[in-house]
Amino acid sequence: MHPDLDPQPPLAQLLRGLPETAARPYGFAEFERRSRERARGAQRAMPAWTLLAVVIAAGVLALSLRFGGRAPEGRGSAPAVEATGPPRLPAGEPATVVGTDILEQWLATLPREPAVVHVGTRAAVTGLEDRLAQVDDLLSVARVEQARPARLAALQQERTRLVGALLQVRYAETLVDESR
Amino acid sequence: MARACAGDTAAREAIYSVLAPATLTLIRRIVGQRAVAEDIFQDTMMAMYERLPQFRREAPLGAWLRQIALSRCLMYLRSPWRRMCLHLEAEHLARGAAEASLTMPGYRGEWIDLERALGTLAPTARAVVWMYEVEGYSHEEIARAFGRSVSFSKSQLARAHARLRAWFEPQEGRQSCTLI
Repeated sequence: MHPDLDPQPPLAQLLRGLPETAARPYGFAEFERRSRERARGAQRAMPAWTLLAVVIAAGVLALSLRFGGRAPEGRGSAPAVEATGPPRLPAGEPATVVGTDILEQWLATLPREPAVVHVGTRAAVTGLEDRLAQVDDLLSVARVEQARPARLAALQQERTRLVGALLQVRYAETLVDESR
Repeated sequence: MARACAGDTAAREAIYSVLAPATLTLIRRIVGQRAVAEDIFQDTMMAMYERLPQFRREAPLGAWLRQIALSRCLMYLRSPWRRMCLHLEAEHLARGAAEASLTMPGYRGEWIDLERALGTLAPTARAVVWMYEVEGYSHEEIARAFGRSVSFSKSQLARAHARLRAWFEPQEGRQSCTLI
């Protein structure tokens, strides 16, 4: 917190003088209704995410069987992304910060938007990025509050899982783009 | 508190009726748009009830809830989804401060002026102003919260101050609500 020894500037005084209860929230019954709705929505979203993950994994597998393996001759002009693909963590290495850093570096090399935007995958990407930002925020709060190592580890694990999922979706996008 | 932790609806409702208005007010002042603010408010209140058993009573419940609300607002401001929508922000600001500003019947003239002036700022700048001037965060803390540099916080604050000063300078054609 910054020291308040100096006389308060007028703006701070004015802002602090604003009423604390200027907005009227909806009632408690409405709050409970929305809470229930969100809980139901989250439950419904779970199978959808699972299904999406299966579809993407199948897509990645099919495309990598078709285009993967040794790169055919004469495709030297293809972008670096295609030539290298996403980096892999060494087998057996635990999901570490260093590990996700490598994956994130690869993600950062991808264009912000794919050549062709598919609404479904874009929604998945933005959803994953949002969730990643939330986990980052929780992680920084946990570090500042010196949370238990178990909690930090759980958050880190969740982050690694999300980066992995994001990597799969983005990789599938690049493969689809290049197959066109 | 104990009854609320045990799931007693009446106790939860009592806490809601006391803390909800100030919480929604804080969130609306930072994010501006009513729909977004209500969404964050719902998240905040749900998080508060979920974490209530972990509340250590080292600070008043309202201050603790304020921290959760602020953290949710920052999460929203930092989210990749919102960053992608940044280009819409200029359009949002162009629509005028009236929509983003918070007023209610019985509001004094200078409060209306101040809320409108705040409404002219981008949500990020508003958050920086609010965190620095009202919540007492230092530039270092703001920079950490946004995952940016200290100069980001300082420049946001300086620009916001200049904009607010310009707003309060008398101009032809703009009607002030402040009774002189």
